[in-house]
Amino acid sequence: MQQFLQQLINGLTMGSIYALVALGYTMVYGIMKLINFAHGDLFTVGSFMAFTLVASIGITRMVASPWIALVAIFILVACMVAALGVLLERIAYRPLRKSSRLAPLVSALGASTVLENALMLIYGSGYLVFPGKLIPDIQWSVGNVVFSLMGVLILVLSFVILVFIYILVQMTNFGAAMRACSLDHDAARLMGINVNRMIAHVFAIGSGLGAIAGVMVGMYYHQINFSMGFNYGLLAFTAAVLGGIGNIPGAMVGGLLLGLLQALVTGYISPSWQNAIAFLVLILILILRPTGLLGERVAEKV
Amino acid sequence: MLWRRFLVAGVLVGVLLVSITGCGQTANNGGNTIKIGVEGPISGNWALEGNGFVNAVSMLAAQINAKGGLLGKQIQIVQGDDQGDPKQAALVAQNMVSSHVVAVLGSYDSSDTEAASGIYNEAGILQITPSSTAVGLTQKGYKLFFRTCFLDNSQGAFAADFITKTLGKKTVAIIHDNTTYAKGLADWTQKDLAAAGAQVVFFGPITPGQQDFTAVLTKIKNLNPDVIYFTGYFSDGGLLTRQARDLGIKSVIMAGDSNNNAGFVKGAGSAATGVIVTSLPLPNDLPYPEAKQFIADYKAKYNADPPSIWTLAEADAFRLVVEAITKTNSTDPHKLADYLHNQLKDFPGITGPINYDQKGDRVGLGYAAYVVNANGQFVLYNKQ
Repeated sequence: MQQFLQQLINGLTMGSIYALVALGYTMVYGIMKLINFAHGDLFTVGSFMAFTLVASIGITRMVASPWIALVAIFILVACMVAALGVLLERIAYRPLRKSSRLAPLVSALGASTVLENALMLIYGSGYLVFPGKLIPDIQWSVGNVVFSLMGVLILVLSFVILVFIYILVQMTNFGAAMRACSLDHDAARLMGINVNRMIAHVFAIGSGLGAIAGVMVGMYYHQINFSMGFNYGLLAFTAAVLGGIGNIPGAMVGGLLLGLLQALVTGYISPSWQNAIAFLVLILILILRPTGLLGERVAEKV
Repeated sequence: MLWRRFLVAGVLVGVLLVSITGCGQTANNGGNTIKIGVEGPISGNWALEGNGFVNAVSMLAAQINAKGGLLGKQIQIVQGDDQGDPKQAALVAQNMVSSHVVAVLGSYDSSDTEAASGIYNEAGILQITPSSTAVGLTQKGYKLFFRTCFLDNSQGAFAADFITKTLGKKTVAIIHDNTTYAKGLADWTQKDLAAAGAQVVFFGPITPGQQDFTAVLTKIKNLNPDVIYFTGYFSDGGLLTRQARDLGIKSVIMAGDSNNNAGFVKGAGSAATGVIVTSLPLPNDLPYPEAKQFIADYKAKYNADPPSIWTLAEADAFRLVVEAITKTNSTDPHKLADYLHNQLKDFPGITGPINYDQKGDRVGLGYAAYVVNANGQFVLYNKQ
């Protein structure tokens, strides 16, 4: 029982990181029907920027309280990566918007390679280790079950962000405009919505969310590498499809489900089967529900 | 392209000629010198190692020549630079054959050694490699082939021996990462642990680069093994160690030789303290008087440390040839090989006692255990 609880915690922690990355995937897909393969690399850029802020610039020494420093890191990095995301859309995707669906996909792969190699050239190909402890290394154990402050923080922050995005999309004029764009670009334009600006906004939000996940990974696992975005990107993409790509609560459900599956398969079957079974479940779900778990709300895609 | 074909054709013709002419003659010149070849990457990417070979052997040969030589003859060193390129290694080998050397010490990496070993075997020249660890090299039945390094699988044997005898532990969890090297080490360790009577309670992979290993570790925590042995690379090993301690796992954590570096300690943070790493010993940690003498001589002559453990293994290869020539009073490579196979016992090598089996593989355990101290440095493990 204790092992089961511990595996649940492990799975939820991993899953909430997948969910945050998946959220960015799903938003971009919703509005542009484009799988943004560079998203995983924007995530990596986020963790490297946080590394620079902490290790090279020493932001923790410039600000009185570690908590203020933490909030500052999250906001700064999210803004910078959001700007990078908008730039990426402007350079790599917008010129191709009228072309076939394959062209922006290839462009996305190219953007991913460019970002990854730029990180490698700037920071080197080795592993970088986050210095010190930004978040106090507090742990609680109940019986034999251990959970850390950082793990709880990741879970809570992911959930708060999800709720915030959901409210933004479903309950504001801004969200209504976004949903209109996702349904039909031309009709939205006729209604007086600036579609280009809307797409830029979505890219900014999606990239910012990826960056926040990147910062969390850096702080939680302490070790970052220029190529780690590929792995997370793949898993997050899977999570997005699992939950129903384009659907915001679906990204959260898909991410958490994937994390839990990985942890429980590892714990109770075999670590060798971890990904095999996780992806088998994905295939089964897609056979039974081709639009993903929460995919039936097609009209509400963003 | 055409040029390259000519080169390959030339090599093939050369090999053919050597095999026709080489069989009949022994590689003994009968003059006033005994020629010994040193083959290695003297230039190219691994030049550091190749030059270490040449330095070590020249120094030892000069010492012997100064004392009157071997069997009353002076030792003459023949250098062959294979540049770490197997095509070049074949050419070097033919050059060695036509120079009538008694023995060749080298080459450095397994591919070069493999390219040359057939030629030496055909020509009847003794070959001792200091550093080519691929298991297959000694599976060809070459009677004149030896090595002073240990095989890829001896680390597993060492780890199993260390866990059961030195630490006296009974239950072990083995984690690998499905790469050829790590899986191989894990398999060998598991086999030897079972033979030593220890119980392997967990054997499974992690996904390299996944960063979150808590699921595997939680499973292992529940099994509560005495020792966790991780055979993968340091980039995962550091994180794994940190997460294991975060989960409250109290088992002894051990790791394979690719974790013997500063990257592991950085990744693991304070959790690195007490982790035991199985690794080849660093030159300065070899406890044998021959090693201390050799390193002191080497420093005095070249004003630098030997570049790696392989320099010392090359020195051992040379010392073995000298020993065999002295004891058999002969320079017939077949007699020397027979001596090394059958009569050599606990030869006091720089890299430890040397014994050979019939395949030319070194018998024994050349690895050492290092433990990370509180300052994050690797120090030799001493049984308390």
